[in-house]
Amino acid sequence: MTPFVADVLIPVGKIVAVILYPMIMVVVMIWLERRVVALMQGRLGPNRVGFQGVLQPVADAVKLFFKEDIMQRQADAFLFNISPVLVMFSSLLAFCFVPLGEPIRIGTYTLTLWIAESPVGLLIILGLSSISVFGVIFGGWASNSKYPLMGALRSVVQVLSYEIPTGLTVLTVAFVARSMDLVEIVRRQEASGTWYGFLMPVSFIVFWISAIAETNRAPFDLPEAESELVAGYHTEYSGMKFAFFYMAEYAHMVLVSSLVVILFFGGWLPPFPSVKALAFLHAVPGFVWYLVKIMFFLYLYVWIRATLPRYRFDSLIRLVWKWLIPLALANFLVVALVRFLR
Amino acid sequence: MSRIGRFLKSFFLVDMLRGLAVTLRLYFSRKVTVQYPERVQEPSPRFRGIVRLHRNEQGEPLCIACKACQRACGTGCFDIEGKKEEGAKVMRPTRFDWKLDRCTFCGFCVEVCPTSAIRFSREFRLTGTDKDGLLFHLPDMYIAGEDLQSYLCAGCRRPR
Amino acid sequence: MAFKEIDLNMGPQHPSTHGVLRLKLAVDNEVVLSVEPVIGYLHRGMEKLWESLTYTQVVPLTDRLDYLASLSNNLGYVLTVEKLAGIEVPRRARYIRVVLAELQRLASHLAWLGFQANDIGAMSVLLYGFEARETVLDIFEEYCGARLTIHGIRIGGVPHDLDAALAARIRKVLDGIPKRLADIRALLDDNRIWKQRTVGIGRIAAGDAIAYGLTGPGLRACGLAWDMRKDIPYSSYDEFDFDVPLGRNGDVYDRYLVRLEEICQSIRIVRQALDGLPEGETSAKVPRVLKVAPAEVFHTIEAPKGVLGFYIKSNGTDKPERVKMKSPSFINLQSLEHMCKGNLFSDVVGILGSLDIVLGEIDK
Repeated sequence: MTPFVADVLIPVGKIVAVILYPMIMVVVMIWLERRVVALMQGRLGPNRVGFQGVLQPVADAVKLFFKEDIMQRQADAFLFNISPVLVMFSSLLAFCFVPLGEPIRIGTYTLTLWIAESPVGLLIILGLSSISVFGVIFGGWASNSKYPLMGALRSVVQVLSYEIPTGLTVLTVAFVARSMDLVEIVRRQEASGTWYGFLMPVSFIVFWISAIAETNRAPFDLPEAESELVAGYHTEYSGMKFAFFYMAEYAHMVLVSSLVVILFFGGWLPPFPSVKALAFLHAVPGFVWYLVKIMFFLYLYVWIRATLPRYRFDSLIRLVWKWLIPLALANFLVVALVRFLR
Repeated sequence: MSRIGRFLKSFFLVDMLRGLAVTLRLYFSRKVTVQYPERVQEPSPRFRGIVRLHRNEQGEPLCIACKACQRACGTGCFDIEGKKEEGAKVMRPTRFDWKLDRCTFCGFCVEVCPTSAIRFSREFRLTGTDKDGLLFHLPDMYIAGEDLQSYLCAGCRRPR
Repeated sequence: MAFKEIDLNMGPQHPSTHGVLRLKLAVDNEVVLSVEPVIGYLHRGMEKLWESLTYTQVVPLTDRLDYLASLSNNLGYVLTVEKLAGIEVPRRARYIRVVLAELQRLASHLAWLGFQANDIGAMSVLLYGFEARETVLDIFEEYCGARLTIHGIRIGGVPHDLDAALAARIRKVLDGIPKRLADIRALLDDNRIWKQRTVGIGRIAAGDAIAYGLTGPGLRACGLAWDMRKDIPYSSYDEFDFDVPLGRNGDVYDRYLVRLEEICQSIRIVRQALDGLPEGETSAKVPRVLKVAPAEVFHTIEAPKGVLGFYIKSNGTDKPERVKMKSPSFINLQSLEHMCKGNLFSDVVGILGSLDIVLGEIDK
């Protein structure tokens, strides 16, 4: 393996993969959401564009690409233009730290299925997903209109509030795994034999609820609810800028699902490792398991969206401050106590 | 229901899980979508589609230009003129103009017609591309359309 | 930056105003201070138009008032004309009218349920409600040929007879609706999010409800048992056995429960009517050209949205001199401000949905 391939081609390939992977998942998500929600509602959903409608997201993208890019004269041009970029940037950059599987050995070269492994990978991902808040607030402010501003403010308060239970529950995982390195966390789960989702179910549930709120998805999607604020902070956006917001939301969902899978459900590990009869499951490569698990959580996102009504904003905030944060704190204390007593 | 029971139900999100179970069950149920235009839901026999003039078994028109439909119509769709030919037994319409854009599909013309000349058909695909196609003249009123698959486009009068 | 009063406009085009309704809101940091509805975007001059049409020709146009429950409008107008002209409707026709009117109430409430749930975020309920509604609309299509602008009642009786085959179909539809309702209730009734958004929201006291002229399920949710079908019966409603569901608090949740229960009661009435359908004519003998001696009359019925009233003044010709329609949605809309004051901005949509207004009726 020449230095050129090892030092230039492979990293560039990984970067391309890291950009393509969430984009492909976004395309899959758009299709999945529309089909699954429709099927749950007793109708068929898009099924004409391509086989079973799989080319529908392509049609949507082409449509958005050709739409006129409108900006108000009073809008703050710089902030207006940069907010979709910020939101997309924060979602995509975090994928650099998400590991997809164990390193693969090709001859003498070990191909790692991540771009960067950092001892504080978890913290970096959480920090990067907070940057998307800037995109939201810039978008709402720069639109120079009441509805987007209200939507942006609500969204910011929501995201900031729900960061706290997210952090607390992630802290329990880091505590048990004694590391904030995502690869280490998965390896610890492999070593201990129990996935942390079963070891600390309260952490998982609180994290999952907070994750849904972080990504502005139903039932916490008030900032972008159609029936109330037309479209919230991205009302005034059209064309590719709107497409960026739209895709960034899905990319963020994929990121959060990845985080849930890695932290709580063993990342790339196959299930039931101790059952001898199911040893054939180990033959399936790690990142296939990872994808299967992510798809389950993405399906769960869509399923919840099709079922539950929307939280009103004050109920949302009351939920996090009165219930989730105390619960997360209590959970952390219990985990620390159990650990201490061992 | 005891308070503890209620609290536990609330803590374990039982109400939400019930809802999720409903949508999951309906996810697998039969879908009611009819994939139009490959499949068309056949309207009922009394369906109030566009009105047509009819002929009897001998092929003679049933309309006797009595203008009962014109009087009954509340929106002024009809403009009829009739004449009795020499030696003929009944009047026949010489002009029968009907406006599709004024019709409310109420059915009064059908109910008052003494000879059942004008009746509802089951055509509901009434799109066209030009406004002139909304004014029907006497020959257009006779175009039969009982067979949903093969009828002339009401708007532009071209075969499908 | 301190937020003082903001004037917000929920414009005529909005995903959740049920029709073209403009709401001028003044909010203070999300709390609603005042709501001013601006109507008239759908005004078509119906009442003036009717003065130039004969009594019979007006009937299909009444379909276009409350277009989600068009048969009720037909019934209201036709009963008023019959009262004016002194026409006696045969018993079989009265029973068929009850069957149709209650099926229409069912369909109207299912549409309301779908829209209300969709506004609050449970989008699947919209489709489940409409799926059930479609089965009822198929009955209407089978009976008189149209699904929405039904025109299924004539002056003097009904246009078609209700034969045994159609009665069997109706019974089948009635069997299917409770299952759908059970699904929707499992999704909404105990759901904490639904309760947080509807319990205690949009409350109106019984005294205020009467002062504002609120009628229909909104009034019954306050605890007042006023239902025209029971209190001033028309079209043989006194021959049927049914309950009038009442609420307690007059909030959105109670209105939701009252309407759901009314659906069950409507099913009960239709079953009784089908079982006890008497023999006889389906229409009285009404002259082709109906001329009515000079008189004036006001008659009300219980439409799905509230008390629907028609005032007709005749002058001896075949065209009415003046028709005035008292639409329930128009009067109910007055209480919107009272209900919204003090609630949050997000609740306005839920409260508006619970009032169940149709702009066709308001603007005529």
